[in-house]
Amino acid sequence: MEICEKAVKLASGFGVDEVEVYFSRSMAVRVEVERNQIVKADRFCDEGFGVRVIYNRSIGFSYTNHTNLKSLEETVSRAVKVAKAGKPDKDRKGFPAPSKLPEVKNTYDKRVAETSLEDAVEITSRMLNSALNFDKRVLAFEGLTVAGESLKILVNSNGVSYTDKGTGIGCLLSTLAKDKGETTPTCFEFEHERTYKINPEKVGVEAAKQAILSLNAKTLETGFYEVIFSPHALESLLYYTLVNALKADNVQRGKSKLKGRLGEKIASENLTIVDDGLLDGGLNTWRFDDEGTVSKKTVLVEKGILKGFLYDKYTADKDFVESTGNAQRTTIPPYSSTPHIEPTNFTILPGKNTLEKMFEETVKGIYVLHLQGAHSSNPESGEFSVVATPAWMVEKGGLAYPLKGVMLTGVIYDVLENVVEVADNPRKVGFLVAPPVKVAKVRVVGK
Amino acid sequence: MDDLLLEAVKLGEKLGVEFVELRCEESLRTSITTKDGGVEVVREGFEKGVNVRVLARGAWGVVSTSKTDRQSVFRAVEDAYRLALALSQKVKEKVKLAEVKQVKDKVTLKPKKDPRNIPIEQKIGDILGVDKTVFSLNPQTKSCTIDYLDVFQKEFYVNSEGANVEQNKIYVWFRVYATATEADVFASAGEEFGSTSGYDVFDENPPEKVGVEIARRLGEQLKAKTPKGGVFPAVLGSNVVGVFVHEAFGHLAEADLTLSGSVVLDKLGKKIASDVVTIFDDGTVEGAFGSFMYDDEGVKTQKTLLVKDGFIVGLMHNRETAKKFNSQPTGNARAENFRYTPIIRMRNTYLEPRDHRFEELLEPIKFGYYLKTFRGGQANLDGTFHVGVQEAYEIVKGEVGEPVRNMSISGNTLETLMKVEAVGKDFRLWPGRCGKGQLAFVCDGGPSIRVGEVRVGGRG
Repeated sequence: MEICEKAVKLASGFGVDEVEVYFSRSMAVRVEVERNQIVKADRFCDEGFGVRVIYNRSIGFSYTNHTNLKSLEETVSRAVKVAKAGKPDKDRKGFPAPSKLPEVKNTYDKRVAETSLEDAVEITSRMLNSALNFDKRVLAFEGLTVAGESLKILVNSNGVSYTDKGTGIGCLLSTLAKDKGETTPTCFEFEHERTYKINPEKVGVEAAKQAILSLNAKTLETGFYEVIFSPHALESLLYYTLVNALKADNVQRGKSKLKGRLGEKIASENLTIVDDGLLDGGLNTWRFDDEGTVSKKTVLVEKGILKGFLYDKYTADKDFVESTGNAQRTTIPPYSSTPHIEPTNFTILPGKNTLEKMFEETVKGIYVLHLQGAHSSNPESGEFSVVATPAWMVEKGGLAYPLKGVMLTGVIYDVLENVVEVADNPRKVGFLVAPPVKVAKVRVVGK
Repeated sequence: MDDLLLEAVKLGEKLGVEFVELRCEESLRTSITTKDGGVEVVREGFEKGVNVRVLARGAWGVVSTSKTDRQSVFRAVEDAYRLALALSQKVKEKVKLAEVKQVKDKVTLKPKKDPRNIPIEQKIGDILGVDKTVFSLNPQTKSCTIDYLDVFQKEFYVNSEGANVEQNKIYVWFRVYATATEADVFASAGEEFGSTSGYDVFDENPPEKVGVEIARRLGEQLKAKTPKGGVFPAVLGSNVVGVFVHEAFGHLAEADLTLSGSVVLDKLGKKIASDVVTIFDDGTVEGAFGSFMYDDEGVKTQKTLLVKDGFIVGLMHNRETAKKFNSQPTGNARAENFRYTPIIRMRNTYLEPRDHRFEELLEPIKFGYYLKTFRGGQANLDGTFHVGVQEAYEIVKGEVGEPVRNMSISGNTLETLMKVEAVGKDFRLWPGRCGKGQLAFVCDGGPSIRVGEVRVGGRG
């Protein structure tokens, strides 16, 4: 904290208008699985500074992973040099002012921070053995356990001086099954938590089960089907379509179909979405965002009505509203880049029915676990055309048989309108917190 | 730096490692983002660090650190050794490395235009030249985002088998992404450019020429209709062939993924494609975005033949997989930076051109699609692939017809390779960045080809 404050003073001496110093440190231990065995362990500590300065409404940024005062001085002068080379932006108002930091729950667990290599090996072994004991045909081709902690400090010349620390632990196993010359698509399962409450056996068994259930896949007739999307499938589909359309930056630049539609119905009334930066134990829960706006909860869609967008300070100033605290530094490591708009915990509120009940009520449907190619969607129009794999036919109240060669095509806004039901069991998958969601009339291209 | 790294190797040997390597890197990165004619931010960063990898009792221990003083580097070696030992009890099949000729070499660059000597103002000017052209040529343009990056990197590699390589690398890269709307139609167009030879990337791709091409694609898409879904014959343009060769086939032939159960594992030496298909992964193309002299295991790069006249004859290896396959390392071990251990990555991957003219590829198709530029691609180890397309046209009676948008193709890689009917001669390489847990700079490419049938996802 002190060195950050020193840097802010230093930069002020260069005649810049505003300055911000961001420091992050990540420490973790990681154990990796390759082809049914544990083969590699690594440990790292990565820390550094990112300095942003505003000079004549132009932003310059520089970073370094050498955390002594001399490198920091060099970094500050680089940031000033490049800011002076940039061009003024009349919409650039400045960095956030200080505000009262909110409390957050279950984002730091000493036990996670202190996870030893032996603990990580133990978790990995339990996960791996559960998968391999499930069925001989399963190959656990890769996997990992990672546990660690992060520290963030943000100081700016407006008086913001924040610090927060958090932990994370996760294990993941990727599998496939081989039987009689057939190879299944790759399957995976994981758990990722802020506190020490993962269940490696469950991850191993689920990853193995998915692969076995994907054997003997059949093709499907082209047509319209009911589709139940898993949280994993939703995560990839929504990110490249709806999430991009909700970013204020894209709205302001005419890159979103949601521009000018606040207060209008854009989805089925079964759908309520909030971006909850304060979610208890959320994977993206921090007390402040990566440019120093305090975290908050933002309603985006309420019973199908569009209520809000995701903002950082710059886009909020442009629209004369408050930042929603969605500025994030998503690079590895975080100090090496400038913040941009991303969701925190993008939460689809759960419904009443269980997934089992949802299967029972499905006449001719498909359960989609993962999607391939979602990143090739058109983020401006919301049009997508993706491969569903693995996916299963749903008949008689359950998964009837696996499917292959299935493409889903359409426009995300039609999908949102056609949400018939949201299940009652949300889970955390990356930026998303959601239960499985059932959508009517999805166009499926089969054989 | 050199002496310290060599001492650290000695320390590792004293501890009793089977193998130890140290990679030390220093890099200066400049990046610029512009949006709609304005400069969003200019960035300049400096970083330095060491990655230590130790093999002991058949297990890997890895430590990376940004601290490059004597004490920290020595401690990293000891920690890596300890990690490997702790893991070794769990290892069933011990890791072994293929033997390679250990090299002592110092590679110096003689770039025509060193990006470090180009003023930031000139870089901004060149980038905004693209932006200005797009907006002025296409009045429906709504946005234009350009990301620019240049990297100057100094690398040292030493290991306990005697390798000692020092090399400098230069990367210059930029990406243009523009959107346009008219009535209810949203169009987008994007392309990446990259070079390892220096700032001359802008000489080969003058800002105005890049802008003209992007504006043209936006215009075509605004006029485009949505495709019919189903199975059709197609001509894939060089750009789409590149992404297909890289995503759909290339990853399956990365030996780590092959071992992990990719569909080519049972097919080595066998016919997997039609007679006209020959594929290389080549690290030696001068100035290409995926080229370099030595990989991150100190192995010299090469031109690797993967498929010859339809037969799969090679895979891309690091030292570990080469040992498993009783083969030779191919120089494909690459790490994004000192934070990562090297894994098998592609370099410049391409389909070898043959002798068909473009018109001859179109000629026999009564109705099908010409897929000219891609939007993204992905594949699965089971051999299913998916390629999104940003620019496509109908083919009607052997001629290119109306533009089509929001299209994508999917299918089974090996079945599709078998259906390649004819290969053109209009060869080109396309720079890009590939993600496999780490980012790598690559090229992919080839000439245009005709494919008997592919599955088209559409809304018609």
